[in-house]
Amino acid sequence: MSILDIWLGILEGFRVTAGITIYGLLFAIPFGLVFGVAQYLATGFVRFVVTSVIEFWRSSAVIILLFVFYYALPVIGVTLSAMTVGAMVLGLNIGGYASQAVRAGLQALDRGQKEAGQALGLSRPTILLRIELPQALVAMSPTFINHIIQLVKATSLVSLITLTDMTFRAKEISQIAYEPVPIYLSLLMAYFVACYPIALFGRWVERRVNPVREARNGI
Amino acid sequence: MHDTAHDLAVQITALQKWYGAFHVLKDISLSVSRGARIVICGPSGSGKSTLIRCLNGLENYQQGTVILGGTRLGDNARDTSLARRQTGMVFQNFNLFPHLTVLSNCTLALRRVGGMARGEAESLALHHLERVRIPEQAYKYPAQLSGGQQQRVAIARALCMNPRLMLFDEPTSALDPEMIKEVLEVMTGLAHDGMTMICVTHEMGFAREVADEVVFMDQGSIVEQAAPATFFSTPNHPRARSFLNTLLH
Amino acid sequence: MEFDPSFALSTVPTILSAIGMTLLVAACSCLGAAVIGFCLEITRRSGGVQGLAVRFLIDFIRATPVLVWLYCLYFILPYYGIRLDALTVGIAGLSIYFSGYLAEVFKAGIDAIAEGQQEAAKALGLGRLDRIIFVIAPQMLRNIAAPMGNYFVSILKATPYLAVLAVPEMLGQAFDIASETYRYAEPLMVAGIIFLSLALGISQGIKWLERRLLAPMSR
Repeated sequence: MSILDIWLGILEGFRVTAGITIYGLLFAIPFGLVFGVAQYLATGFVRFVVTSVIEFWRSSAVIILLFVFYYALPVIGVTLSAMTVGAMVLGLNIGGYASQAVRAGLQALDRGQKEAGQALGLSRPTILLRIELPQALVAMSPTFINHIIQLVKATSLVSLITLTDMTFRAKEISQIAYEPVPIYLSLLMAYFVACYPIALFGRWVERRVNPVREARNGI
Repeated sequence: MHDTAHDLAVQITALQKWYGAFHVLKDISLSVSRGARIVICGPSGSGKSTLIRCLNGLENYQQGTVILGGTRLGDNARDTSLARRQTGMVFQNFNLFPHLTVLSNCTLALRRVGGMARGEAESLALHHLERVRIPEQAYKYPAQLSGGQQQRVAIARALCMNPRLMLFDEPTSALDPEMIKEVLEVMTGLAHDGMTMICVTHEMGFAREVADEVVFMDQGSIVEQAAPATFFSTPNHPRARSFLNTLLH
Repeated sequence: MEFDPSFALSTVPTILSAIGMTLLVAACSCLGAAVIGFCLEITRRSGGVQGLAVRFLIDFIRATPVLVWLYCLYFILPYYGIRLDALTVGIAGLSIYFSGYLAEVFKAGIDAIAEGQQEAAKALGLGRLDRIIFVIAPQMLRNIAAPMGNYFVSILKATPYLAVLAVPEMLGQAFDIASETYRYAEPLMVAGIIFLSLALGISQGIKWLERRLLAPMSR
């Protein structure tokens, strides 16, 4: 099997990899925003509930979550497609991380921002939406871009629940032809090609958001 | 001729240094004889710190020669380590190692560079901590000391290596006024013990009392070099005069 | 089929019996990742061609999924006649993958050390190795304690990936039960709960240790 055949074969799985990533972001972004803000604002019991939900999605081992939801949901009568289960589990896991970035971004803001808004007579929702969140989202954007990379990489897990993503295709191909070296190295390269531009974009955003700190060398 | 060279602690000849296009040190020549106390002063950015950092290889230079204790320093690791063995340096920000106790700060180089056994290193370190009048703090961490105490520990740390030349890079600039005195007293004591010292400092009282020679630098050059009495009463150069005026007012 | 709590409970001892394997894998991988990551970071800082190469290698590792690294080692090594047991391959895979992240942790830990520390150590005549061992590394360890703790938990949560290579850790054990009984939901949920408790417990433990151990040296 030629390298080109291997690449084309793996590429057939790209649609599922990209699809799960985008579908997953549809879970991750709303979850991260809503729960991050909620954790920032809430107090007492509500905060405990919000934190528990976030910790469930964030602190669980994502591979186990994936299997649990894939195998356990039908038991309680909920039938979702593997695609939906994959996107939901991976998305909410990343969303849990994103919520922490949102909350940290909000907490890092100078308290004077909120107070200035209050002094101007703005309502709390207005302060949140027009003053606090815009600044927090800018500050957290490099972190969030890193989470997107984590999501792309985590999509390789859906190969374990029968979805034909790039990893699944690589395993299929290797069953046809015993050429593990080119096949799996190509698979590594495929993910690198997908993720590295996002990483470079993230660095560019980071430089725009944070003042440049010179890279230091030497010990 | 040979004897003069032997009595010189440092001889700097035609030293030139650039940071990219910026000419930091312009044709610096300076001889420091053994036991001499030199104070280097000048406005910020005049190159005075850079100059003394060239003497122990913390900075490199493009042209000129530095002869330290009779040995000409080249740009190689062996000469750099030789220079560092002969010199002790005290920094503006103390640069004590925060993860080590005061005593361990002093013994680290004794043991690693000097190859000294632990007990011997510790008693030597305690001796120098006594010399800077701080032996009771030996087992504390730097963060638990005041700035003045930290700087005195830094002096003791440098003295432990038995340097032939002490370099002070604005040792009191980061200190509150009440702590400056205790550090200057320790430095004066060192001078009376006959230590060869090159101090970058703006403490003119110290210069007047202790220095054999004041070197005034501006824009990378040595502009004036004189005994303190002469320098403070009748400075020759207009830039030295205006510098002294800004210090006085 | 319905969810059976008593069956779920009956799987706990079997799954828990593999907790030692899970912790062993996590500890070995964390150590391996730290050693490789530290070497990568020191080489990256030394500059030159090898520094650039390592910089790219770290970026590459961070842009590729851990599952694919495991497949790569598992399938490629035997092709070259290197036969290692699944456990070794798994630990090696996790070590390589997380070394890319720990290198970044070390970088931040070293960058945070005050500039003057290097100079003071140089002025005392300490050589490069002595500076690394006695001045840089101890201060770096203090700076990286918190992120290292977080990565240990991340590594712990990645150990169930080894189930894919049939290493008998907790998820593997859960799948064994599932394939014998044809009941997936219960053992998987039990494994998930154990992992979640372990991750949360260890996170708290690490926070407690940090407060206890690092207090005396900080101002």
